[in-house]
Amino acid sequence: MLDPQERKLVILFLLPTSLFMLLLLWLPFIQGIWMSFHMWPFMGEPQWRGLDNYGKFLRADYFWDAIKATAIYCLSTFFQLLVALAAALVMNQPFIPFKSLWRGIMIVSYAMPPVVVGAIWLFLLDPGLGMVPHYLMQFGLMDEPIYWFSDGVWARWIITFVATWTFWPFMFLIILSSLQSIPREYYEVAEMYGANILQRFMVVTLPRIKTAILIVVILRLAFNLAKIEQPFTLTGGGPGYDTSVLSILMYRFAFMSGDFGMAFTVGLFLVAFTAILLLPFGWLYQRSMRRHSL
Amino acid sequence: MEERREIQSEDRAGIRVNALRKTFQPAGVVACDDVDLDIASGELLVLLGPSGCGKTTTLRCIAGLEKPDNEDAITVCGRNLRGVAPKDRNLAFVFQTTALFPHLNVRRNISFGLDMKKSLGREEIARRVERAAGLLKIDQLLERYPGELSGGQGQRVALGRAMVMEPDAFLLDEPFASLDAKLRVEMRTEIKLIQRQLHTTMIFVTHDQEEALTIGDKIAVMNEGVVQQFDTPHNIYHRPANLFVATFIGSPPINLFTCRVEERGDQVYLVSSLFEAAVPQAYREALRKTGDELKLGLRPEFISIGGVAGHIAGGVELIELMGSRSQVLVDCKGEEIRVQVQGDHNIREGEKVQLSLDLEHGFFFGPDELSLL
Amino acid sequence: MAQNYTRVGAFQKIISFAVLGLVLALILIPYAYIIATAFKEPGEVFETRWVPEKISLQAWTDVFEIFAFHQFLFNSLIAGLGSALLAVLISLPGAYIFARKKFRFRETFFYLIVGTLVFPFILLIVPLTIIWIKVGLFNTFLGLWLAFQIFAVPYCVWILRGFFAQLSPHLEEAAMVYGCTQFQAFYKVMVPLAKPVVISVLFLSFLYGWSDFLFSNMLTTGGGPQTASVAIYIATAGGERIEWEMLAVMTLIAGVPPVAVYMLAQKYLSQTFATAV
Repeated sequence: MLDPQERKLVILFLLPTSLFMLLLLWLPFIQGIWMSFHMWPFMGEPQWRGLDNYGKFLRADYFWDAIKATAIYCLSTFFQLLVALAAALVMNQPFIPFKSLWRGIMIVSYAMPPVVVGAIWLFLLDPGLGMVPHYLMQFGLMDEPIYWFSDGVWARWIITFVATWTFWPFMFLIILSSLQSIPREYYEVAEMYGANILQRFMVVTLPRIKTAILIVVILRLAFNLAKIEQPFTLTGGGPGYDTSVLSILMYRFAFMSGDFGMAFTVGLFLVAFTAILLLPFGWLYQRSMRRHSL
Repeated sequence: MEERREIQSEDRAGIRVNALRKTFQPAGVVACDDVDLDIASGELLVLLGPSGCGKTTTLRCIAGLEKPDNEDAITVCGRNLRGVAPKDRNLAFVFQTTALFPHLNVRRNISFGLDMKKSLGREEIARRVERAAGLLKIDQLLERYPGELSGGQGQRVALGRAMVMEPDAFLLDEPFASLDAKLRVEMRTEIKLIQRQLHTTMIFVTHDQEEALTIGDKIAVMNEGVVQQFDTPHNIYHRPANLFVATFIGSPPINLFTCRVEERGDQVYLVSSLFEAAVPQAYREALRKTGDELKLGLRPEFISIGGVAGHIAGGVELIELMGSRSQVLVDCKGEEIRVQVQGDHNIREGEKVQLSLDLEHGFFFGPDELSLL
Repeated sequence: MAQNYTRVGAFQKIISFAVLGLVLALILIPYAYIIATAFKEPGEVFETRWVPEKISLQAWTDVFEIFAFHQFLFNSLIAGLGSALLAVLISLPGAYIFARKKFRFRETFFYLIVGTLVFPFILLIVPLTIIWIKVGLFNTFLGLWLAFQIFAVPYCVWILRGFFAQLSPHLEEAAMVYGCTQFQAFYKVMVPLAKPVVISVLFLSFLYGWSDFLFSNMLTTGGGPQTASVAIYIATAGGERIEWEMLAVMTLIAGVPPVAVYMLAQKYLSQTFATAV
């Protein structure tokens, strides 16, 4: 129990944080739900539509295009994890020289604004003048340039690749600092008892960085679903709806068709998609936290 | 400031704790109950007890870091501290974890309380810091940061931070618990000397009975939130008020025997499964009045080995050298009895021995575990 | 088995250096090419060449003279600074309370705030646009700063709480015994103590504002406080021909400051991440 003076401090200090979250997040969210029952134009009077937006979206042919694009785009998180884990393990080796230089270089792509990175790859991958198609053809790996912004399958993989290239350092930084916090003694004990390198990884390293891995996977999955800069810069959601991940689709409804009600309906599907995707990881995280605190 | 000095000289009572009770909500755990303490000005009181006995809670209530159920329980220098904030109590607290401010150097840490007060000039603050640092032998460390100090140095700085306040009392919460054994003994002596020199009231919390016995002017032994005995170290050791105090104090620990009292004509006898012995003249009346069952407590130094006809026969199981003395563990019909002997003994493990009990120094506890004497 | 306990296997070394080399190459080659492009003349952009025939600064002057890129950079700067200050002001007291005080429903409350980190906040753009127009925040810096807090506040609370939670539990008590009130213990002891983390959090939320595209694209219109990200997007999307050499220059100009900030704050940032997880 808190004494009155302390209670005053607690309330006073929590006020700004909670007030901002309420006014900026929860209130607009509820307003949005209200909007999703309407035909709500950018300017002008909204019209009540009931659940029509939901029905229309579920039946639309772009619904499955969007879900498919979102699902493939989400795979980027796991590619990021692979790269980040490999890089972090290497950077935690004592025999690597100039570590802070390499680490500095590694975080460049993450430090830059995502739009910047998107623009860079737009240029490098350009079928006509890009460096990547040029060398692929020169080395005979490709016969003719792929016009990927008119090829849905390629477009989806390219936005996934660029997202991986951009965002893996976030995971890398957190996993590396988690690796560095493992006391040396654990490895020494493992070695004393004859564990080989793989066993050391499985018995010492992995359990100690499990929580960090779960956190970065959860955060990156969520962030990727909410980030639109790169698909937006690279493909704009096209061709057709092939790279219209849910967040892009939402944007298209709001700012291209001017139907804010429909846009928020899509947004709610995005919330549901995120929740379903994160649920198992959240459960694992909670379980590992509980074990830590015991 | 002047006013307080006057009160202090008028009222020599130091610190009074009156029926202090502290309940932790929402669990409703009673951490300390009916704690009565009376500490004279300039006295060093030790609060001693096992972990979770309420000693730290008592100290924190005095400091104002916890609010007791009865808020008027604490009086310092004649001033009741009901509703007084910790910073206005003129008491200095030293934490077990040192709780030094990592972003301030040693000098700023020590002067922290004076800087907050703003009533002293820069020179006066510097003077007090230098003096405390000299006394604590940390004058070489003033420009360092807490992260660069060893455990012992850190605790010295924490003491310095308390000393410069020139408080009505020092409150120390297990300050040396995390130091190694040798350093702890050193610091213990030093703090006692400093306390003598400054003549400031001090309350010192510890779970280490040896520490308590060596430094305390008075000791309050606590268990399960209740003061078991509040007395001088000598009496705590030699005249324990109850079974808990007798067993908690003393290293190696006391031997306990469950006995029956039997009157045989004029004599009163103690009868146990191991021995029969006549009760010394002085205790005869006290023991005769009680019922049958009692517990006899006898410290290892009051049992001797040798003689032809001792009270108990047994076999030596283990001998532990403890410097100038040795502890001998004797097995008597499956019960282990600890005996303390001089270091130059010629007892060997496995040997059969006779034990004699010095009942003059025995403690006797009734079924309610209180001392019968 | 016993002899390998101090030796690192040669195989392990080879693999490690190979991974390191591959990762670095994948990062450095694209950037090197962009740097080369930034110094090409417009006609040379179409040729895949690493060293321009003639070093040209044409693109570097054009982005400012034709495109007025400095205006967008300035907007990014203001957006970032405001976002950073506001984020710390709002989240520091809350994070402190969550880390150091016990009260009922603390966990629930904390997860209600930090849990919104995983909320796909992009969908709020829909109601926010409508609300911002109504209350006059549309097309203003204040509107942008506020919108950034949707993400910045939970992020900062998460990081700052992690820092405060691992400090010695008796620090405020020591401050209070030695002359501070509850409030003074916070701003005279805890805030100065948290300086390195506060700086990291300032950096992170500055970068967030600087890099933002979503809000500054939707909550502003031309002539308003549009950030460099928006300008770059416009350059890629608008017009018949994309001026690649100018785009390369813009990406470098907009990309280098945050990279520099990251490099400078590297030590702080990795400590910060370590306490947060």
